[in-house]
Amino acid sequence: MKIAVCIKRVPDQDVRFKIAAGGKAVDEAGLKFDMSDFDGYAAEVAIQLTEKAGAGEVTVVSVGPDAVQETLRKALSMGAHRAVQLKHDTPVHDGYAIASALAAELKEGAYDLILTGRMAVDTQNRSVGAQLAELLDRPYIGAITKLDVEGGMVKARRELEGAFELVECTLPAVLSIDEGIARARYPSLKGIMAAKKKPMDVRPAQLGAQRYTLESLELPPERTGGRIIGEGPDAVPELVRLLKEEAKIL
Amino acid sequence: MHIVFALVVVAAFGLFAWNAWRLILELRMGRLDDSRWSDVGARLGNLLSIGIFQKKIFRDSVAGPMHAAIFWGFCVLTAGTIEFLVAGVFPSFSFAKVLPGVLYRFYTINQDVWGALVLLAVSFALFRRITKRVKRLMGAETHPNDPLLILSWIGALMITMFGDQAMAMVANPEPGIGLLRPISAVIAALSSVVVSPSAALTLERLFWVSHGLLVLSFLNYLPYSKHLHVVVSLPNVYLSNTSGPGQVGVMSAMDLEGDLEVFGAKDVEQLSWKSLLDGFACTECGRCTSVCPANITGKPLSPRKIMVNVRERLEEKSAAAGIGLIGRSAGGTAVTTAGATTARALLDTYITEDELWACTSCRACVTECPVSIDQLSVINELRRNLVLGESRFPEEILPAFESMEQKGSPWAFDPADRAKWADGMDIPTMAELHGRGEKPDVLYWVGCMGSFDDRAKKTTVAFAKIMKAAGVRFAILAQEEKCHGDPARRMGNEYLYQMLAKDAVGVLNTYAVTKVVTACPHCFHQMGNEFPQWGGHFDVIHHSTFIEELLAAGKVPLRADLHEPVSKFTYHDSCYLGRYNEVYDAPREALKRALPVMELVEMPRSRDRGMCCGAGGGRMFMEEHVAEGGKRINAERAEEALATGATTIAVACPFCMTMLADSVKARDADVTVLDIAEVVAGRLAV
Repeated sequence: MKIAVCIKRVPDQDVRFKIAAGGKAVDEAGLKFDMSDFDGYAAEVAIQLTEKAGAGEVTVVSVGPDAVQETLRKALSMGAHRAVQLKHDTPVHDGYAIASALAAELKEGAYDLILTGRMAVDTQNRSVGAQLAELLDRPYIGAITKLDVEGGMVKARRELEGAFELVECTLPAVLSIDEGIARARYPSLKGIMAAKKKPMDVRPAQLGAQRYTLESLELPPERTGGRIIGEGPDAVPELVRLLKEEAKIL
Repeated sequence: MHIVFALVVVAAFGLFAWNAWRLILELRMGRLDDSRWSDVGARLGNLLSIGIFQKKIFRDSVAGPMHAAIFWGFCVLTAGTIEFLVAGVFPSFSFAKVLPGVLYRFYTINQDVWGALVLLAVSFALFRRITKRVKRLMGAETHPNDPLLILSWIGALMITMFGDQAMAMVANPEPGIGLLRPISAVIAALSSVVVSPSAALTLERLFWVSHGLLVLSFLNYLPYSKHLHVVVSLPNVYLSNTSGPGQVGVMSAMDLEGDLEVFGAKDVEQLSWKSLLDGFACTECGRCTSVCPANITGKPLSPRKIMVNVRERLEEKSAAAGIGLIGRSAGGTAVTTAGATTARALLDTYITEDELWACTSCRACVTECPVSIDQLSVINELRRNLVLGESRFPEEILPAFESMEQKGSPWAFDPADRAKWADGMDIPTMAELHGRGEKPDVLYWVGCMGSFDDRAKKTTVAFAKIMKAAGVRFAILAQEEKCHGDPARRMGNEYLYQMLAKDAVGVLNTYAVTKVVTACPHCFHQMGNEFPQWGGHFDVIHHSTFIEELLAAGKVPLRADLHEPVSKFTYHDSCYLGRYNEVYDAPREALKRALPVMELVEMPRSRDRGMCCGAGGGRMFMEEHVAEGGKRINAERAEEALATGATTIAVACPFCMTMLADSVKARDADVTVLDIAEVVAGRLAV
């Protein structure tokens, strides 16, 4: 079975971001980058499928500047077999453009399965997987938490609010992977060494027309510290006044 | 008769030599790139104190004297055995012919006296083994019949020796002989009542032959027994890796660039030859296991089992390779088919993951071992294989690995907050000083806990206040400080460790740092003892020593009022400060100097016997699975501390602080846990 996994390089999320000059991008100074979490689960699912079958090939694909090679290399050290960088040096925010670039690459190669993460943890647009399926004219199941592939059929489980949904489709298909399905493995040193020798192709990204542009980025207002205005019933009138006049919520 | 004896002696020694050569071949199955030729002076010192003078043996007040009597007796009686064997071949030989009279009498009297002491000691040892169920002598991994056999054998050796001597005296009474061998003479006098001289002659021959056969068979039994320790212990002590200065507890640097087939150790071939020798030296006394915090609290780890397993697996593998002991290669006890040995390995077949992850790396086992076995290095090598080779580890430590790599700290705090504790304290960073062309007296390496953990930050602030009050010119690295990777190394992730350690050394060398002070014993050990592997040579001081020196020099302005009530303190030794670096007195002295009215009570397990808090070796980041009847390690330690009646438990390590404070709190005890720095800062006259 041939599986392609689309992965995105994203900044570590547990830090306080700063906005870069120009107000349209995050200041990348001091940021650490890694594979988007859901893409990591997708890579793990793909690797497990080939390990279980004892055959098959996992190709990881990413759109972006040369820095994405580091992220692709991590997927190779986890156990993916080959990588493709669709090179584009400026940030792309339009999911349709990215899906077009991926579709141009993945329409060839006879991939049985194409996996994406449920969403990129930085931009959270959730649009690439479905658009990619549409461009390739393949069935799509989104945000799956359990997967069986047998006899040319995909059986997937999706988690809804208070219910499970079981969905089937035929191969080839595009699936997006939710959390809970598998933990991305920690690459062993053996894997890291092996990854250095695995093929990494670089091709220009054939982005489709970009239909929207990012206008500006803003940080939420800093939280100000709490204030104690008094105790007991005596403090109530002052509290009401402040809620009306300062916070303007009453 | 003498020719027959000579042939038997030659055959026995030949057999022994053949097996000894086989044992050397077995050792050579291990890694040979572990040279032990250095530090001859320190090694001889160890040989003398730990080997000959039995320093560690005496740590057990009952078994200690007993073993020392047998050991010293063996040394003395070996001279008698040599005389016995030579005289067996050349009947006219006697030491009397080569030694001056006084020396000869000294020799014979010693033979008798030590013979009796050994007999007493082995009788006591047998009695103790049979009647008292000494906990540390038991365990599923031990060979319980072997010591009974060996002790009886030694007893029989003594009895036949005395029998031979006494019957010779009855058969051929010589005047004055009683002065040479007083105990044999008493036995002779008593038995002459019932034994005629002619019967005595026959008995003497009988004892003589039995003694000879017992000596030679004993020699050849050793390679097959855990009592190989008799031969291997002294060399093992000499070759122990605790000899070089600054080498205690230092983990070996892996060559990650090399074309390695196996990372760390999966089987005996990947262990150092010295670890295999450790397996030969182990006599299953169980002192290591009896002090292991994991074992004490019911975890699956037994350091003794680790060593027993190393030897068992080596025997199995060498037998299959056709270089095992005589009788083993032909089948014997080992599995010999090639398929069976390749599917089997030291890791998993003998030693499980759970055992390895239970280790806190506290070095109690290594410190306790009377023959300087290093159980920890086996555990470390196997952990390396789990992580680097197979990416197999408890899932809880994944976030720690990822966070160390991404955020430069095992906890997922925002690196931007690293120096937040210093807000408003006017503490310069290295970058600021460097920009002004200045250099501080000392760099304060705060450490990840000291930077981010709310409780540990109080210690950080307290220590900074002490340094400011004492006029120390110090600086911090602030955001340029990142974890040096020690937790990763202890958890087997040498790859991540080397990345981080090299980065940290690089930052320190950029600023040409020479002196570093830190409040974390793990940072202290790593930076002082392991950074030299990466070209980082710094004078690293632990804050307890630093504070003690400031106090001793009178540089810390303390309040003069001494009218406070006498308070009772106990001090908990951190493993990486104590056993790893032998800093025991500084924290205690610092407490006494800061609080002259304090009463310092010691816990039963203190100083180099101190019990781990449970956080070392990466255990801080793992779940502690408490088995039925077991408990948490920090609970065991907190109970011990509370039992002293102390109202304050002083610590000198942020990890110990967390573990003990958690457990004390869980017990609702009205006891505070304070760092040394907090105690001293609390007395500042500012």
